[in-house]
Amino acid sequence: MTAAEPTERSDTGVGPGTDGAPESGQTAGYRHLLKAVVYRDLLVWVRYPVDAVFGLVIGVFFFGLMFYGGRMVAGQAINDTIEGLIVGYFLWTLSLGAYAGIMNDVQSEASWGTLERHYMTPFGFGPVVLAKSVAIVFRTFCTSAVVLAVMLLMTGRTLDLPVFTVITVGLLAIAGALGLGLAMGGLGVLYKRISNIANFLQFGFIGLISAPSFDIWWTKFLPLAQGSAMLQQAMTGGVRLWEFEPTAIAILVGAAVLYLGLGYLVFARATKRARRLGVLGDY
Amino acid sequence: MAGESLQTDVSDNSREANGSDATTGAAPPVDPDEAALYVDGISKTFGSGDEAVEAVSGVSFAVEPGEVVGLLGPNGAGKTTTIKSVLGLVLPDEGDVRVRGIDIYEQPRAAYEHVDAMLEGARNDYWRLTVRENLRYFAAIRGQDPDTLSDRHDQLLEQFDLAEFADTAVRDLSRGMKQKVSLASVLGGNVSVAFLDEPTLGLDVESSLKLRRELRRLVDERGLTLVVSSHDMEVIEDVCDRVIIMNDGEVIVDDTVESLLAGFETAGYRFTVRGADEDVLDDLRERFDLSGVEDLDGRTRFEVAADSATFYRLTDAMERRGLEVDGVETVQPDLAEAFVEMTSGDGQTAGIDGLSSLGGSER
Repeated sequence: MTAAEPTERSDTGVGPGTDGAPESGQTAGYRHLLKAVVYRDLLVWVRYPVDAVFGLVIGVFFFGLMFYGGRMVAGQAINDTIEGLIVGYFLWTLSLGAYAGIMNDVQSEASWGTLERHYMTPFGFGPVVLAKSVAIVFRTFCTSAVVLAVMLLMTGRTLDLPVFTVITVGLLAIAGALGLGLAMGGLGVLYKRISNIANFLQFGFIGLISAPSFDIWWTKFLPLAQGSAMLQQAMTGGVRLWEFEPTAIAILVGAAVLYLGLGYLVFARATKRARRLGVLGDY
Repeated sequence: MAGESLQTDVSDNSREANGSDATTGAAPPVDPDEAALYVDGISKTFGSGDEAVEAVSGVSFAVEPGEVVGLLGPNGAGKTTTIKSVLGLVLPDEGDVRVRGIDIYEQPRAAYEHVDAMLEGARNDYWRLTVRENLRYFAAIRGQDPDTLSDRHDQLLEQFDLAEFADTAVRDLSRGMKQKVSLASVLGGNVSVAFLDEPTLGLDVESSLKLRRELRRLVDERGLTLVVSSHDMEVIEDVCDRVIIMNDGEVIVDDTVESLLAGFETAGYRFTVRGADEDVLDDLRERFDLSGVEDLDGRTRFEVAADSATFYRLTDAMERRGLEVDGVETVQPDLAEAFVEMTSGDGQTAGIDGLSSLGGSER
């Protein structure tokens, strides 16, 4: 065949062999890949200690600003809604971590000169990027958990923390943000400088998390919105995963798959176009 | 050029070895399934309309298993586009590439089991990770269990003088050491075909020499296939079996290093004579390709491009003009000079137009 007509498989590089390992001759499978990518992500994170600590401090600082500032301005009103604010802020740090994490990771790899090495793997670029996404989500959950704990200490409040429900709903909720991050990461590889729009989108998350999904039905289908509502119910009302309406879970899962899938599609298209333009590894 | 110049057409040799017909870009005359690397008719144009730039055109070559090929060319010759197209990092407009018989565009994952590349020099690794962590990480994303490669990694670290820095963060190493870490991390992934872009960049003379030896040893011991792009001609001469020279997006020479240099071996001579005044020198200049004329306190030194027949005509002419020959040295241009000559001018020349334009050096 000619190179001008690569197969779909060559575009995405996705598709494991039947045993979960690459199709031929490898001594390691996807478990090794995931382990290596998660470990590397954590190592790089701790080896930029100032950035890591500053990220946590800033996260807590802005919540403190809202909490104490709100109390001064709104008095009792802020105390009545503080649980909702904590949950919303927790989800915002999660979604921001997932979105910015994967977007910055892809762009950093390009600027470090290591992106192309991740393309040239027997696993395919898609699985490697998805493994990176998992690593980033894992790290984000860890850091957001710290921020959550400090928020609870700061406010003296307690929340229900049904771990399985919170993690499941949280993961599905931020899948949309991850999809957006992938899309922006791909566009960053293609267009190099997209920081203005990328930064602007972060503020959009506040609107999505606070979307009135109980009052305006269609907002449930926006990224983060349904997950935000369900996380509020789980953490402030003690609702467990199996106690949600099946329709609510279906919308949550559907939105997660849709936005993550769309984000990945944009990423795959953008990197394919970057290859066509010869700018995949440029920085 | 004035005088009787030596014309050595390297293009006659350039169609031999394992390569293709360098002048037409025809398919390499080897079995695509047998070659470690088979490249057939790669073309790539960036942009469109008036802004279209043809980066490479009809590039074809093949590399046998265990062979080391140097890819040379001036800036803008199309080397990077060729390498990235061969690796599937750039999608060419047309052409086929097979790595160990596997179509890299149709089955990229299977092809990437065999090939990796050091494209960004010292920027090919994570500087915040240690040397060993880099080797383990890049082995893992290449589908290799790092635990099973520990011995191999130790061996590579020893070979590249990195053993004592195995647990040092790459950012704390010198540029040359970083370069070696990049190289080790590519070779540590158990590949059989590797592309190395400027592998000795940033290395001091001694380190460069040692690295060249180690590379050659790895090739000889493990049957590694290498494609080396470098501006360091010593790397090419010491490590490579064959050289592909590109210019203006095309392969203009594809030949063994020995054959390429053989084309220049009769390059010329350096004479030291007595009794040469300006009239005599003018006469010789008109008839021969003299250059580098120097007055050495009563003696005159000059260089001349000459094959054996020209050599005897020149010595006869000098004898008739009463010159006394004090000394004659053979002057042979090296690969760097050959490269400059072949890629200069219209970019298509494979003829060597005399020693004077090469500025030959002694060996």
